[in-house]
Amino acid sequence: MMNGMSPEVSEHVPICSTKDIVTARQKGRELAHCFKFSKGEQTRFATAISELTRNILTYADTGSCQFYVYTDKNYHTIMAKIIDHGPGIENPKLAMTDGYSSGNGLGLGLPGAKRLVHELSIKSEPGLTQIEITIRQKKY
Amino acid sequence: MTIIPILYLKSTLIASIQTELTDEEVLLFQSNLLKKNHKLNTKGVIIDVSTLDVIDSYMAKVLKDLTSMVKLQGSVFLLSGVKPAVSSTLVDMGMMLNNVETFLSLDQAFDYLSTKVQAKK
Repeated sequence: MMNGMSPEVSEHVPICSTKDIVTARQKGRELAHCFKFSKGEQTRFATAISELTRNILTYADTGSCQFYVYTDKNYHTIMAKIIDHGPGIENPKLAMTDGYSSGNGLGLGLPGAKRLVHELSIKSEPGLTQIEITIRQKKY
Repeated sequence: MTIIPILYLKSTLIASIQTELTDEEVLLFQSNLLKKNHKLNTKGVIIDVSTLDVIDSYMAKVLKDLTSMVKLQGSVFLLSGVKPAVSSTLVDMGMMLNNVETFLSLDQAFDYLSTKVQAKK
């Protein structure tokens, strides 16, 4: 959470099928659009959400994607929290290495997604994996 | 399920992906395209993505695979209209799509096929 601030907007998308991946990334893009992030940022954020929510289906079957928007004096911040209750990421540091993959994906997932957003943080243990991605922009 | 129309024009297959597809829909599109190309023996296949805002690694892999698959069928695969935001996102993710032949517009891709690629007899 952002220093105990309560979010201006919060939305929740359950992830159970590939259709939900599309729903989640559209929601992310929509929010980025609403808060006047550039077209490039909208696409990058949506793509990162697509990669991370697909991981849910690959590794954990079901999960959820939650969106929070925080606005303070200077910045709009959009955070997407991607949560699943799968086996967890055994070695988060290794999982952030380019080219590393334990599934049959492309090995671009986590490190690829990290390069698309301002911040990416992972908390993972067996039964709970939580990945937060954040984009931030100065208010006009 | 969203079905992407695949049009046949002057020995070329043309498809425009305008809505975001689920993984299943992308795969269905891929197989429809290959079947149609097999039946019609075209010079080339052009996919236009000029209205698509998100190409993630899955979609990118399908496009990459299609390049090889269509080539194996004896045709040329061309991609047109990749948006600026999409191109920078793909490169940042490390998906260069190096082996995919790309054009800025459908018009240019079609021109290329009609002038540079010989029709098969």
